[in-house]
Amino acid sequence: MLSLLYIDPGSGSFLIQAIIAAVLGGWFIIKGYWARLKSFFTGKQGAEEKDKKAKESEEEIEY
Amino acid sequence: MQILNASFKDRSGYVFKHNNEYYRTVQAIYQSHYEQLLGSGLKDYLCKRKLFLPFEESEELVAQTSSWKVIKPVQLTQISYASEWSFEMYKDAALCTLHNCIEALDYDMVLKDANTYNIQFVEGKPILIDSLSFEKNNEGKPWIAYRQFIEQFVCPLLLMKYNHHALQKITLSYPNGIPINVCKTLLPSKAKLNPNVYLHIFLPSSKESKPTKESHFSKQKMTTLLKGLVGFVKKLEVKKEKSIWDDYYTHTILGNQYFDEKQVAVKSMLDQISFNKLVDYGANDGAFSMLYANSSKEIVSADIDYNCINRLYKKVKTEKIKNIHPIVLDLTSPTPSFGWAAHERDSIFKRLQSDVSLCLALVHHLAIQYNVPLSSVLELMHKQSEYLLIEFVEKKDEKVQFLLKNREDVFDQYDIINFELEIDKLYTILDKKMLRLGSRTLYLLKRK
Repeated sequence: MLSLLYIDPGSGSFLIQAIIAAVLGGWFIIKGYWARLKSFFTGKQGAEEKDKKAKESEEEIEY
Repeated sequence: MQILNASFKDRSGYVFKHNNEYYRTVQAIYQSHYEQLLGSGLKDYLCKRKLFLPFEESEELVAQTSSWKVIKPVQLTQISYASEWSFEMYKDAALCTLHNCIEALDYDMVLKDANTYNIQFVEGKPILIDSLSFEKNNEGKPWIAYRQFIEQFVCPLLLMKYNHHALQKITLSYPNGIPINVCKTLLPSKAKLNPNVYLHIFLPSSKESKPTKESHFSKQKMTTLLKGLVGFVKKLEVKKEKSIWDDYYTHTILGNQYFDEKQVAVKSMLDQISFNKLVDYGANDGAFSMLYANSSKEIVSADIDYNCINRLYKKVKTEKIKNIHPIVLDLTSPTPSFGWAAHERDSIFKRLQSDVSLCLALVHHLAIQYNVPLSSVLELMHKQSEYLLIEFVEKKDEKVQFLLKNREDVFDQYDIINFELEIDKLYTILDKKMLRLGSRTLYLLKRK
């Protein structure tokens, strides 16, 4: 237990972040294709596009 | 010049008070980061999107503080801490942190810390107040504040979601964030079924003590991680549990007529005095605070009930009310001063100083449910503001009778005569109005 006190609290976080980024990366690719397919058929704007527009026009952030 | 107790850790620059206004030094160690923050346009961009508290440089205090620069941020009028936020407030504070970091990446900067104290609610919205929180992105390194973000924001949100809204109070015992290992033991097994909870909470605790060889962590990966966190936090919802204070004014025997009459009386009494800041103690879902919605007055609506404050915050947010600040406050166990040397963070009463305090339908709960003497209630309010508008509910009132239903009536001092005797010790009565119900009286008082 005492040895744990000397471990940097962030250690191990690299591996975790790498695993999560890899898992989410794959998931986002699938989600992206699905959103494009959906907006092609429905004509509605996806969340990603809305975010992009808000960013470009420097709109106040909405939660 | 007085250095703030809360800013002793940051070597980049400390916060100080000068002529009743707050400033922050920028030390030479932070120079290159500061130049990038301003030079890249990140600061202006974040300020426009209301993610980051604006500041301007203040030349005249540089020599006095022996620092590289001094900045003066927009002045905050009310500070609240995480244990005083409702679930939605907490969630939005987490999202504000993440959005700041995502946007910063486009400007080759990153948030170097992610703690709840860096977020405050201004004009009904969370905003990052730590002017020196950004640093140049060290390309290839993972997000330095990831672990802190999980422990400061995600763990409390999960405990509130899976266990109980009131577990937010735990954050007071863990001012540096709830350790992942502690959080894991408190969560029910079903939490593991949520892939995000598994990845951020259960997986790290099995890997954390193993030293790892770090390879390149691209900016793309970091954006993916942060966007993943945004999606995760956005979907978190708190379990709705019915509390006794829900719909107090809509579904009780008191009804609309009583409420309307009281609203008119309260407004006419408050119109007699001049004030800038009002604290509504026991605000419920802000029915009386709303009298001043979108006015030039600053209103703090405090209540013990998380559901009520959550509802009020949602209303403030959707109706874009800029002058009402909801906070969760248990008067019988208020936030003390805490942190390093027990004075790093101020107690709630130090932060709630105001011109007038509003205590409607509150005294009988404190006196009869919590055995607080009438004199103690008045003494506390006397320290908080110059004026006090307080309601006294007599024993014959149906609500007091309800409180006395299952307990022995040991409150022989609880009557209007004693209440007025106590008032006389500390206050002058400016106005007094009895409501038509016949058992409730409003007093407008001024400190002696």
